[in-house]
Amino acid sequence: MDEDTIDRIVSPELVSLEEPPANKDAVIEHLLDLAVDAGRVSDREQALADLLEREAETSTGVGKGIGIPHAKTAGAAEPTIAFTRSSEGIDFGAPDGEPATLLFMILVPEAGSDEHLEILSSLSRALMNDEVRDDLHTAESPKEVTTVLTNAIT
Amino acid sequence: MMERTVTIVPEAGLHARPASKLVETANEFESEVQIAADGEDPVDAQSMLGVSSLGAEHGEEVRLIADGPDAEAALDALERVLSTPEDEYDE
Repeated sequence: MDEDTIDRIVSPELVSLEEPPANKDAVIEHLLDLAVDAGRVSDREQALADLLEREAETSTGVGKGIGIPHAKTAGAAEPTIAFTRSSEGIDFGAPDGEPATLLFMILVPEAGSDEHLEILSSLSRALMNDEVRDDLHTAESPKEVTTVLTNAIT
Repeated sequence: MMERTVTIVPEAGLHARPASKLVETANEFESEVQIAADGEDPVDAQSMLGVSSLGAEHGEEVRLIADGPDAEAALDALERVLSTPEDEYDE
């Protein structure tokens, strides 16, 4: 994925380093609200329904303390990654049983072919690197988070 | 070490239920199991993060690599997951 594409889908306003709510559904809404406030969601209710529907199919905890709720939805105005982190961790049903401390939400518009899966695989590949996860845990500002992500994904 | 190339049958590709089924199955064996998309480095098939990183779609070929005492059984089980349409999974 090239740098322009990443710049289009992550931005500091989509990152919150405040402690999020400590349960799964609430943190998904919290991430969604970051995208809503950034003007990237055309229909919040639809986007939430699609995120929760995907979550009901299989939970999006991928292990190593990472949760990536995601959906292709008519409620999304443009491809978006939102991020927050939880100090205590949230149960995202990961196969390794580790609670999720790094939380990402991916939304892409209905028309965006399978772009959400492309974003999901690029993000997953970046997060396999221990250093990238450490940098996300220690980043001190939203800008630093987006820089880490941009460098890791491209 | 044993290897096998398998074509992904589930319509949704290696995402959501097929992906979690694959990881769950890979963890049932003692052998180390890896999976590689076409021309890419293998990733840990016992890790959801690894499998998510593949972005493997319906119809794509993936390489399964197993190393350990039950390698052949692991490859058989994983091939079954990848060759079964999603609507035929047991709950």
